[in-house]
Amino acid sequence: MGASYSAVGWNRQKKIYDWIIFSFCVVYLATFIVLTAIFNPDYTFETVLIRSTSTLAVLILHVILSIGPLTRLNKKFFPLLYNRRHLGVTMFCIILVHGAFGILQFHSLGNVNPFVSLFTSNTHYDSIADFPFQALGFFALIIFFLMAITSHDFWLHNLSPKIWKTLHMFVYLAYFLVVMHVMLGVIQYETNPVFIIIMIIGAITLISLHLVAGLKEARKDKINYNLKEEGFVFVCGVTEIEESRAKIFCIDKERIAVYKHEDKLYAIHNVCKHQGGPLGEGKIIDGCITCPWHGYQYLPQNGQSPPPFKEMVNTYDVKVKDNKVWLNPMPYAEGTERPGANIR
Amino acid sequence: MLITFISIIFIATAIYLAAGILFTIIFQAKGLSKIDEGVHGSSWAFKIIIIPGCIVFWPVLLRKWIRSK
Repeated sequence: MGASYSAVGWNRQKKIYDWIIFSFCVVYLATFIVLTAIFNPDYTFETVLIRSTSTLAVLILHVILSIGPLTRLNKKFFPLLYNRRHLGVTMFCIILVHGAFGILQFHSLGNVNPFVSLFTSNTHYDSIADFPFQALGFFALIIFFLMAITSHDFWLHNLSPKIWKTLHMFVYLAYFLVVMHVMLGVIQYETNPVFIIIMIIGAITLISLHLVAGLKEARKDKINYNLKEEGFVFVCGVTEIEESRAKIFCIDKERIAVYKHEDKLYAIHNVCKHQGGPLGEGKIIDGCITCPWHGYQYLPQNGQSPPPFKEMVNTYDVKVKDNKVWLNPMPYAEGTERPGANIR
Repeated sequence: MLITFISIIFIATAIYLAAGILFTIIFQAKGLSKIDEGVHGSSWAFKIIIIPGCIVFWPVLLRKWIRSK
């Protein structure tokens, strides 16, 4: 927003969340290492570290990619969304350890540059089964690296939200590369199919979650609002909107959030200026519409972030007639003051 | 052939990142506060945390810095 940047936006909840992530990672790695030492004592420490970090990173990646659709299906998952950035950076750190030890173990002992060796030690690029899977992992690591180093609002502003969002959507390409990296690695080096089965279950779960959440969104967007009157469209009854909450309506392909606050209704554009979060899924806190994703705030009467912040969204006219809510989908310029509609 | 190709890409990337390091040293000292007002009053930890990004995305920042003059 408009105020000074801080290195990490920690608050009490985020600190608790980060401690839980850290503790989970430590417990997972320790358990993996101890179990391997018991059941496969001939494995080297590097091998155990490479395997433990890879499985942990894949697990966290699945959690990260599930958070988006889960919040679309149930609002209880929003706390996970607030802190997804920390989870992503944690995952990158784990992958970095995995990659560093992988290169150290497999490519640093010869007289060829380790990075060159990574791409040239196995040259079966024309084979599916023998494809050099480490190269796929390397490209996934590069994507995660670019995402991790830009996981700060400074980059969101200076790369522009559109480029930033596009860059971070490459997580799906990285996921595909990770799946192929793991599958080919297991095919080439393992006889036990358990990793492939877990990976397939994970991929099916993720795809199903995204499909279900996407269908739910599409159903909402397809609702037709046929009742029209002087530019206004009938959208719902007054009682259908909870106090300090909103309902979202998709009219002419634009999503508009109608908020109820202190006996008045206000309408603003549903898309947060920060990362495109759904403002209508948030609530009013301290008199401000608060984005459920990262807490960016806007005043309901003018769509402006309270000073010193400078973000603004479009506002709309809304009126109440016989306990029915009518919305005019023609937007006012961002930050335009609108009086709101009296409920009583 | 493949080794030569990969080596060329590796050297080109190293040169790009070396230029990024050089740029970041100058940019952190003189240009950072000129391209984004949010930098005013920010902590040293923030300036450290953005260093990897400055090294990688230095052409974007250089362009913004030139435009801000």
